[in-house]
Order: sequence, then structure tokens, then C-alpha cells
Amino acid sequence: MQDARIEIRIGGTGGQGLILSAKILADALAAGGKHVAQSQTYEPTSRGGYCNADLVISDGEVDFPITTALDQLVLLDRLAIKPSWPLLKPGALVIADTRLCPELPAGNYRRYHLPLSRTALELGSERVTNIVALGALVALSNICDRKRIEQAVRAETPRGFLDLNMDALKAGYAVHVQAAAGNNAEVNVGT
Amino acid sequence: MNAIDTALTGKSAVKLISGNHACALGAIAAGCRFFAGYPITPSSEIAERLARRLPEVDGVFVQMEDEIASMAAVIGASMGGVKAMTATSGPGFSLKQENIGYAAGAEIPCVIVNVMRGGPSTGMPTRPSQADIMQARWGSHGDYPIIVLTPASVSEIYSETLRAFDLAEQCRSPVVLLYDQVIAQLSETVALDGAGHASATRKWASGPRAAYQPYDGGSDAIPAMARPGDGYRTHTTGLTHSESGFPTQQPEAVTRNLSRLFSKLERHRDLIDSSEALHCDDADVVIVAIGISARAATRAVEQCRAQGLRVGLFRPITFWPFPEKQLRQAAAKARAVLVPEMNTGQLRLVVERVLAGVAVEGLHLFSGEAITPSDIAARATALARGA
Repeated sequence: MQDARIEIRIGGTGGQGLILSAKILADALAAGGKHVAQSQTYEPTSRGGYCNADLVISDGEVDFPITTALDQLVLLDRLAIKPSWPLLKPGALVIADTRLCPELPAGNYRRYHLPLSRTALELGSERVTNIVALGALVALSNICDRKRIEQAVRAETPRGFLDLNMDALKAGYAVHVQAAAGNNAEVNVGT
Repeated sequence: MNAIDTALTGKSAVKLISGNHACALGAIAAGCRFFAGYPITPSSEIAERLARRLPEVDGVFVQMEDEIASMAAVIGASMGGVKAMTATSGPGFSLKQENIGYAAGAEIPCVIVNVMRGGPSTGMPTRPSQADIMQARWGSHGDYPIIVLTPASVSEIYSETLRAFDLAEQCRSPVVLLYDQVIAQLSETVALDGAGHASATRKWASGPRAAYQPYDGGSDAIPAMARPGDGYRTHTTGLTHSESGFPTQQPEAVTRNLSRLFSKLERHRDLIDSSEALHCDDADVVIVAIGISARAATRAVEQCRAQGLRVGLFRPITFWPFPEKQLRQAAAKARAVLVPEMNTGQLRLVVERVLAGVAVEGLHLFSGEAITPSDIAARATALARGA
């Protein structure tokens, strides 16, 4: 059975806000009428252990809600490579942080090695790396309408962090363009 | 219920929520007004939600000193006339067992949520399992009946939570809501429609006070409870008791009361039973599964059907009492039965007993990972092709 099923993973370590970014994206997609299942794997240690937050997106009801073949992968820590790499579909979109995930295995993927955490640091807090990554994912995958993702970020953000999160999201939209212009990133499509 | 939750449970509202959140919403909608518990992964989100929501509906949330006391508090609240629940996981479910037996023996309506995580002992707090199937049925000492429901999706957690409270009240029984960590913490887009739900009410004592017997089963084997303040004289004990509620070891009285207790659920199977059969009518191979494994099996069945293979799925929604008749009917034409489950063979044991004579194969995974559709499809394909 082939349905229009899209699978996304945001992988890294506990405390990076991976589940929050996945929830924001899931909310935005649900608001657009998609059926979404959002699951996660985490360690009892909570902070520092391997963690991933996954989405399965479909036009109809999602039968099996767990990822089995990834269309899109965001890597915010090298720990996430080993459990995620075997699930990648050929040609999948891979976005990895240059600093936290410096080396990637080879393969036939749309690879973007981007300074996500550095962009967050430049904005004032490494804590918004998850939102920068979300912006980059939306920009490179077109998975979601930008207006909806902005609404979802607003809905999930405490007032004191709203400006920072919106700046992070917008910086995320542009990070691949700037990186390519400044030769800051390895943008490797189809190798 | 606050505005957000009202919006969530409105007729056509579609929202992304987790299984544990759906359970908390279902409890409020069912009329639960007392929760006592002790937080434990991966069930804590239920307590977290109810801690905030219950006071808004004049309910009571208590974080007790441990799971034993939580279960005792739930029983006490229910005896006071309030719909009550607790939620736990892993070791917490073990701790509650003594008092679950008390609730079964004294016939106190209550709902116990057990989110199954990897075990034994502390095991894998953040990983799924389906290894408490037998504990949910036989976990307390002695012999007693109990109702166990096994939902498989976020929306079904909501509807089965409603049903759990209804069955607890109607049958005067503890009801265990049993689901795995995957669907507990999974968020899904769901439309929660509990609008037409009319909550069941308890059979309260009525009529002449002098004639009231707290454990007289009447015509339907379900004794009427004395509502505090109504003036009926009653007595509740964990000791074996006669119709009067007072302890007895007199063999005839013990046999009479326990026989009624055991017949109680059997006499109300029409109310209790719930199961689902998918493509079973002509199936050569029937898969039997619950929870997240049933979700994987659903996809596997569709994949097998696309290959022209006659594979079906039977899914118990009420797990205990086990839907034996329904399984026999679903597997009437089956040459082989496949049981995928996240344990070493608890459901398989049940299926082997119910379908004695049919070849039953287990697909057991206890690594803390969910079984995938492709694993199930591969085995079902081999069985359908006679391999």
C-alpha cells in the first residue's frame, strides 16, 4: 500500500528542545489540515542522552505512527547519526549542524551542513538552535507554510522569548543561503 | 472543564494531543472528580494534566506518598461516592496490586491506568512494552475478576477512558486501562467526540433501609452501594464476607458470595466485550495484536492484501475478560495465527488456549522498540504462502 506518507526526524540530545520543535511543526501541519503523528524516543537521563522527535505526516489517517523510512532528517548532535542513518530513504533531505555534528557518513542524500547552533549563539542563546533548525527545515523542505509555522512558534513561546524565537526562525529560513554565500557550509546535493 | 478542553472535545474539533492528555480529558468528561497518584514515567502526563484540570471542575487531585496509598485513596474516594482514578507504570503497578485486589473483592468502582514500559523491575522507564497483560489480570493475590481495556490510538484512549468509568460504575469493578508507552506519549491529530456520551451512574441503595444487604447481588449479580448520608447501614472489608458485608469464613456464605463475584462480569459480557476484526472473513492468516503492535499489524495487513494474500487482524479492545467467542469467529477459516507482541509470549498463551488446534506463532520483541509493519508483513506473508 502506497500512501502519501512523509516522515521527518529531528535528532540530537535531551535538553535541546527537539520535542518542542517537532510539536511546533506538527501543530502547524495539523492547522493546515494534515494528519500528523508525533512521537519521540528519549533516555531516562533526560539531559544529554540521545533523543529524537519524529513526525509522520499524511493526507489521511496515519495507520502506523512511528517512523520507518525518513524523508527528512535534522541532526543536532553526532549521537543521532547511528540510530537515524539506516532509516534514511535514498535522496532524503539531511540538515546537520556543523559544530555539533561535524562529520557525516557518505550516501545519496540532499545534505546541508549548516551553522545552526552558531547562528543561535550569534542571536544570543544556543537554546534557540532548535528553532533555527526548524526554520532551516521549513525553508529547505517546503513542508509547511511559513505563516502557519510562525503562528505555531508564537503559540508555543512564552512572551519573554517571543522576539528571540521569531528571530531564530527567520535566521533559520536564511541560514542555507547565507552559508552558501559566505562559503561557511558544505552544501552537498545528491552525493 | 476550561475553554481549551471544551474546544478539544467539541463535536468537530481536530487537535494534536498525546495519548496521556486524551486520557486526562476522557476522565474529566466521564465525570472523574478524584485522582490520587504518584508520578512515574511514562504515565506522569496524566497526573500533570489532572493536577491542573481537576480543581477547575471542583475535583480533587492528591499526590500521595506512594502508589500503595494512592490506590487506597482512590478506593476511599469511590466509597464516598466520587468517580476516582489513578495512573501509573511499571513498578508502580506492582505496588498497587494489593489494593486492586481489595477493590475487586469489596467491589469498589475505580479506574487504574497502567502505561506499559519495559521491565522487569525498574526496567526501561522511557521505552514501550506490552508485558503487563497477565499482571493486569492476575497481579493481585487470590482469585478475582477484573476488566482490562487495551486502546490502540490517541482517540481510542479517550473513548476507552469514558468506557472504563462506565464499566467500573455499571459492574462495580476496578477497570484497568492498559496501553503502551508509544501511544501514551504519541501525539496524533484527533477529533474527540464525547458530546453524546451519557455517563453511567452507580446502582445506589434504595427502598426500605432495614432490608438493605450491601452484598446482595439482586437480579443482576451487582449489589447496590450505600451512598454515604443516605442512612443505609453498610460494612466494607477485605475479608470474605456474606451479603451483610460482615466478615465470614462460613463455607456456604463464602462460596455463595465468591460465586456471585465471579459470575458478575460473565453475566454482563454484552456490556463489557469489545473487539475489532479487519479482513478476517476469508483470512488464511489471522494476526492477533493490541496497542501499537495492532497499529503495525494494520499496515502489515494492508501490505499483504495488496499482494493478494488473505491476511486479517483481530484486535481485542476489551482484553479481560478475553473476547474468546469473537476470536474463534474471526479465526474460523485461519490456517495459521500470528501474534506480534512486545513481550515473550503473554498474548500468544491466551490465543493458543482459545484456538486450541490452530497453529499459533509468536513474533516477540522485548528490546524496548516497537514491532514494525514490515516485520509483521514478512512473517504473515511466509505463513500465508505456507512456509
